[in-house]
Amino acid sequence: MKNIIIIGIPSKGRLKENSINFLEKDNLKLTSKGGDRNYFASFSSLPNVQIVYLHAREIIERLGDGTLDFGISGLDLLEESPKNLQKKIEKLKKLDFGVADLVVAVPDDWIDVQTVADLEEVSFYFRDKKNQRLRVATKYPNLTNKFFSTKGITQYKLISSLGATEVYPFTGSSEIITDITSTGDTLKANNLRILKDGSILKSSAYFLRSKKSRKYSNKNKIIKLFLNN
Amino acid sequence: MKSKNYSENIIKVFKKYGFALSEPDVLLDSNYIIQRSGENFKKLMLTFENDSGKKMCLRPDLTIAACVKYLEEKANKKSKIYYSGQAYRRSNSRKESIINNQAGIEIIGSKKKKQDDKEIISTILKSIEKTKIKNISVYIGDVSLFKQLIESLKMPERWRLRLIRHFWRPGYFEDLLNRLETNSDINPVAFDFDKKKFLEMKKINQKHEIAGRSISEILNRFDKKIRDPRSFVDGKNIAKIIREFLKISCPIYQMEEKLNNFFNKHNIKKKLIKNTLPIKSLLRSDYKIIFSTNFGRDIEYYTGLVFEIWALKNKQEIARGGRYDSLLKSLGSSQNIPAVGAAINLNNLHTAK
Repeated sequence: MKNIIIIGIPSKGRLKENSINFLEKDNLKLTSKGGDRNYFASFSSLPNVQIVYLHAREIIERLGDGTLDFGISGLDLLEESPKNLQKKIEKLKKLDFGVADLVVAVPDDWIDVQTVADLEEVSFYFRDKKNQRLRVATKYPNLTNKFFSTKGITQYKLISSLGATEVYPFTGSSEIITDITSTGDTLKANNLRILKDGSILKSSAYFLRSKKSRKYSNKNKIIKLFLNN
Repeated sequence: MKSKNYSENIIKVFKKYGFALSEPDVLLDSNYIIQRSGENFKKLMLTFENDSGKKMCLRPDLTIAACVKYLEEKANKKSKIYYSGQAYRRSNSRKESIINNQAGIEIIGSKKKKQDDKEIISTILKSIEKTKIKNISVYIGDVSLFKQLIESLKMPERWRLRLIRHFWRPGYFEDLLNRLETNSDINPVAFDFDKKKFLEMKKINQKHEIAGRSISEILNRFDKKIRDPRSFVDGKNIAKIIREFLKISCPIYQMEEKLNNFFNKHNIKKKLIKNTLPIKSLLRSDYKIIFSTNFGRDIEYYTGLVFEIWALKNKQEIARGGRYDSLLKSLGSSQNIPAVGAAINLNNLHTAK
């Protein structure tokens, strides 16, 4: 749509609140904060701008196909998405919220495993002695594969997880995990420990743009409004 | 000559030397291969899900497909086969074709290793002669030499295994050498803390499992790590020797002399090389043959002899092969089965004339 500028922001939790704070200015207030059934909002002083509340993963997808012009989502989700999707999205600004690390975590009682090199050794032990692959539960298969291959870990199998990844090692669904964590508390509470050199990605929220929107000059103007703060 | 004629002539040679036709499956169970070769290999495979949700893949490699067939047939005896067909692999470069037409031979389950190695190389060279491609060069190596070198150097066992395991990933291997030269393995502060935990864990049921590993397994490995530290000076010296070894590259007639010089210089027992060098018989060959230690490092399953044949005209590899004694075990056999084989790349052969 040529005239309407559509901005996607996360529909839940602290990411949502922080995104609203980022967009709102003294003279620029949103008409709706997105209730249970209301997924849209706008600024009364900017009739051409429409806000849509979406799942953070969905925001990446919709920026990729150009149905959103701008959006706020996590760097982790952007980097995890397929390469051809990433190519269609421009990073405008790193934001100071949603800060979290994607890390490799092992059971705390594996005291012999402190580094990725230890893990690599144990993974071979699984193959040679147990004739199994070390299973790694994750919501981030692409980033995990990339990280492991640069660290020389090859003997593993990914188990895709949709949530509560931290319990997988203790329900027999996997041996270790990779997961996103901001304070590390959830991991600790679940008897998991982050490997010393096990940081895969330092993530935070980003203000993003669909490259498709670049050709419209009105959309270029509006963006300055949000970036100049 | 058309590629069909090429392959017919090549197969004639295979048959003449006693290789029997085998037709490995085109579709393989993808989980079966990933389970055994890891996620990294998955990137190369062309996979899809069948109606029942089972992941299948097009055979990425005819050697693997031939081994799967050998195991399915449960023949447990010497098998001397040839095949001609397509292998399917994803590629990062657009120039490379996804479909690879190959004609290859394998000897599986025979203990006469040296004789078999020789037979594979000479059959491949003879079949290339039939294609009338002149001007080829042959590169040859033996990856077990590296393994033996590492075993003769003084270093912690875990470093030994680590270097052997990652010989196949030259980039990461270089990282390992750099690490060997610099830092030490154990952090003293963290170590004291872990030692406390170690003593606590000693008291609980040793058979108890945590995420697939028993307490005793964890404590044993921890204990070994402490008892077997690595000195900085040794590490530096080892890295130097390995780097020097990997630089050896010479015409085959100088191989023995060069290796001898290297072993003498570093006081390494020379009996090492006596058992290797199956390739001596090639000294009498008319081809230009280069021996190299830093070679055959991109396919993990090789365990001994490795060789490649290149056409000088189009600078492309037209054949490669080697010994892979542990592949069948990793594909499900209960023990290692000796095996050696090679394949001619018909795509590249076609453009080499």
